[in-house]
Amino acid sequence: MTLPQILAFTILVPLAGGVLIAIIPRSLARWARPVAITVSGLTLAMATYLWVSFDGTSSDMQFELIHDWVPGIGTSFHVGVDGLSMPMVFLTALLTVVAIVASSKIKDLVREYFTLLLLLEAGLMGVFVALDMILFYVFWEVVLIPMFFLINIWGGPRRNYAAVKFFIYTLAGSLAMLGGIIALYLSTGAVTFDMLELATDAASLSAATQTAIFVAIAFALAIKVPIVPFHTWLPDAHVEAPTAVSVLLAGVLLKMGSYGFLRLGPQLLPEGFRALVPVISVLAVISIVYGAAVALMQTDLKKLVAYSSVSHMGYVMLGIAAGTTAGVLGASVQMFSHGLIAGMSFLLVGALYERAHTREMGAFGGIAKVTPVLAGTLVFASFASAGLPGMSGFIGEFLVILGSFEPYTWFAALAGLAVVLTAGYLLWMLRRVVFGQLNEERAAMPEMTLTEAIALAPLCIGTIVVGIFPQTLVGTMQASIEAVARIVGR
Amino acid sequence: MNTTSMLSLMLPEIIVALTGGLIIVLDLIWPAAEDSGPDSQPWLAYTGVLGLLLAAASVLSLSGQDATLFEGIILIDPLGAFFKMLFIGIAILVLLLSVGALKTFTKWSAEFYALIVWCTLGHMLLASAGELFTIFLALQLTSLPLIVLIGYAKQDPISGEAALKYLLMVMVSTAVLLYGMSLIYGSLGTSTISEIGTKLAEMNTIGPVVALGLVLLLTGFAFKITAAPFHYWVPDVYEGAPNPVTAFLSVGSKFAGFALALRIIVTGLQVEMNWHLILGLMAALSMTLGNLGAIRQTNIKRMLAYSGIAQAGYLLVGLAALSQEGVGALLFYASAYLFANLAAFGVIIVFATATKSTSIERFSGLSKRSPLLALALAIALLSLGGLPLMAGFMAKFYVFLYAVKAGLVWLVAFGVVNSVISLYYYLRVVWIVYVAEGDPGEIRVPLGAGVAISICVAGVLVLGLYPEPMMQAAQFAASALFGGQ
Repeated sequence: MTLPQILAFTILVPLAGGVLIAIIPRSLARWARPVAITVSGLTLAMATYLWVSFDGTSSDMQFELIHDWVPGIGTSFHVGVDGLSMPMVFLTALLTVVAIVASSKIKDLVREYFTLLLLLEAGLMGVFVALDMILFYVFWEVVLIPMFFLINIWGGPRRNYAAVKFFIYTLAGSLAMLGGIIALYLSTGAVTFDMLELATDAASLSAATQTAIFVAIAFALAIKVPIVPFHTWLPDAHVEAPTAVSVLLAGVLLKMGSYGFLRLGPQLLPEGFRALVPVISVLAVISIVYGAAVALMQTDLKKLVAYSSVSHMGYVMLGIAAGTTAGVLGASVQMFSHGLIAGMSFLLVGALYERAHTREMGAFGGIAKVTPVLAGTLVFASFASAGLPGMSGFIGEFLVILGSFEPYTWFAALAGLAVVLTAGYLLWMLRRVVFGQLNEERAAMPEMTLTEAIALAPLCIGTIVVGIFPQTLVGTMQASIEAVARIVGR
Repeated sequence: MNTTSMLSLMLPEIIVALTGGLIIVLDLIWPAAEDSGPDSQPWLAYTGVLGLLLAAASVLSLSGQDATLFEGIILIDPLGAFFKMLFIGIAILVLLLSVGALKTFTKWSAEFYALIVWCTLGHMLLASAGELFTIFLALQLTSLPLIVLIGYAKQDPISGEAALKYLLMVMVSTAVLLYGMSLIYGSLGTSTISEIGTKLAEMNTIGPVVALGLVLLLTGFAFKITAAPFHYWVPDVYEGAPNPVTAFLSVGSKFAGFALALRIIVTGLQVEMNWHLILGLMAALSMTLGNLGAIRQTNIKRMLAYSGIAQAGYLLVGLAALSQEGVGALLFYASAYLFANLAAFGVIIVFATATKSTSIERFSGLSKRSPLLALALAIALLSLGGLPLMAGFMAKFYVFLYAVKAGLVWLVAFGVVNSVISLYYYLRVVWIVYVAEGDPGEIRVPLGAGVAISICVAGVLVLGLYPEPMMQAAQFAASALFGGQ
């Protein structure tokens, strides 16, 4: 099998696995999770193999595969990866395995649950490898449907409200994006939806046209990231979603938005991107500060992690808006790093909720004395989230601040100050949950289980590896990111 | 051209006419036993299917032919061929779906099958009629069997009420249509569409009488395609008609209206009117009223009736583009809608046969009673909602693309917002089917219905994943209408 075929199989294998699980008889439903683990494990193996074979010194698309799809309107099944998408493909594969391992407590509609998780993986993979606008859009929408049902069926008490809100927000955005795609297609006049070809065709468009098109596309992306003020669906969706779904939502789905900014912005519509950069940078800083400030006020653990995601994704957007090599590199590292850290955080919050049936911080206290391993991992995840040196979060946020210092000195300063806020809400949370007086209700709380440890281990290891050897990640991305930064011209 | 070769070009229609007769004759020769029920003669339906397959083969063998028969009364062209294939496909699927379902509303099967076949003959004639009075006759040939079919459940007063409503609707719309025809014939002195086109092109100014005539024709077909504001008959008739007839009505009758409208509109383009705006407003109104109406429904047949009104709106968006590409998109949309809608109705027919109910609530837990029916219904509804990987997405995308290209950005914005609204009620049913707790008991799927539903689901997926061949066929058919420009 050639490498491009393997890339296509990272979409097809989860898809086929999902269908397989959907049609196994009810009496064999207990096999759904093992099959899902096998399928996602196989996908992870393929993604790893691709990354190992990836040439980080080139900014070109690699493992490209083109197959005619609807030649009449110029759309094709065109996939490939570069330094921007390769880490995302790996992250998707890794977090899906983690999510499936962490779903051991699902008892209702087991087959449907794992089918939807695998379909979600297929959709996410598709978004990150698609090099055709229609293909990209199709996968973008495909992600929406399993996510809607995963929240709506297996979610918490207000799941219906949360799922519908998520659905409406995302759909409104993606329809605007579809409008943008059609406008781009019609205004270039070329009969193609191919991103690489459109990139050359779109260069001749006037700045005003590019801006109008990019505004439509950016609307969808901004909702997905989410950038304040388009973020209100996120806390609701996170609070109601089951743990494993939160992991994927924060870990991978949000990255679709920031990845979209990188993929469709500088390279496809540079003028439009440039015109929008001032707005994005302001909103990014607002997201950073506002997300952290709101997180400071939360007493619900899951809401705290959700708002910290808004803040952390703000760093990603600030780095992208800065457009310098260091900034974009920082943004990309932060995307990967936040995938690991948010995954860890949601797994831990899920573990605490399972034990206490509440996520209120006040219901915990002093759990370090009862469950040292669980508490220790929570401390580790919080330090990673706060950007402690030696962990991946530090590399990402440091590079973003460094890279945005020249174009936006004041914004960089604000983002730097916000790190203090981040440390503040995390330490305060740790003080109330992990340390201090032991809450008697929690005295018999069970320690971390083996399943939980297996789910958490790769994320912890990844955080440290990226933190200590950032070159593993940076080496893959650098060439592509320099190409992006060259276009933005900073 | 001699009579024999002219008739050979009408071979599909002849085969269909004979098939209907054959079903009746076979029933006379081997009648069902007195108390055996309507399901004792499934072979009558299969005879109809065979005849229709033969007709489809002859349509295909004549494809690419371009001829005018009987002084312009009948047009043999790719557009007609495309529609004929759709109509034959619909009839085959409906016959297959009817086999196990007749027992819920009647004792007599042969007449039912024959009427479906003959009604299809009317549809096919409409698709190739090139002259106003032929159009009128063909319309009657579709309407009369439909009235009988809608009232076929004689024991059920709702069915009779629906038939009466449909009869009144047919009378009104036919009167309007005839009035329009007489105005045009009176002013121009000809009734063949091609000559009307020539005369209109020659005239410098077009009098209000001709314009009025064209608008009245448009109104006549708006009834048929269930476009707003001429849609008020639809929910009641759809709900009252026996399930297989509703399925037939929801696609066959609607497409027949479009087959007719396409030829007249393209001729009518000679008249200086803002056709973009007229058709666009009709489309916007249909989409909006249809979708808003569907949200409140508790009966799935009524819901699909309103959804059908909305879908007529999307089809009209393709027409409103008034371009060859737009019409091609419309034809593609029609084929996508055919598969999705008949898949949904197929599930409803099987479900209603087993449970005697079409209330949406009763679909709760269908996924546990019959996983395959649930999956088919989900795929059908997601396609109707226009979600990717399904035929419905490609269809909507295609229609909207060419509408934007024709400058109808406002209309596409309307359509996009409406698609979002429609997802609410489509996904609600999917949610009920998969999540809500419902009655126990497995639902068995009869062979014929199983085959028909599988064909439809396969059609939805194939058109969604690999739309190219159908798109080419649709564009080829559309090119016939615009003189191969």
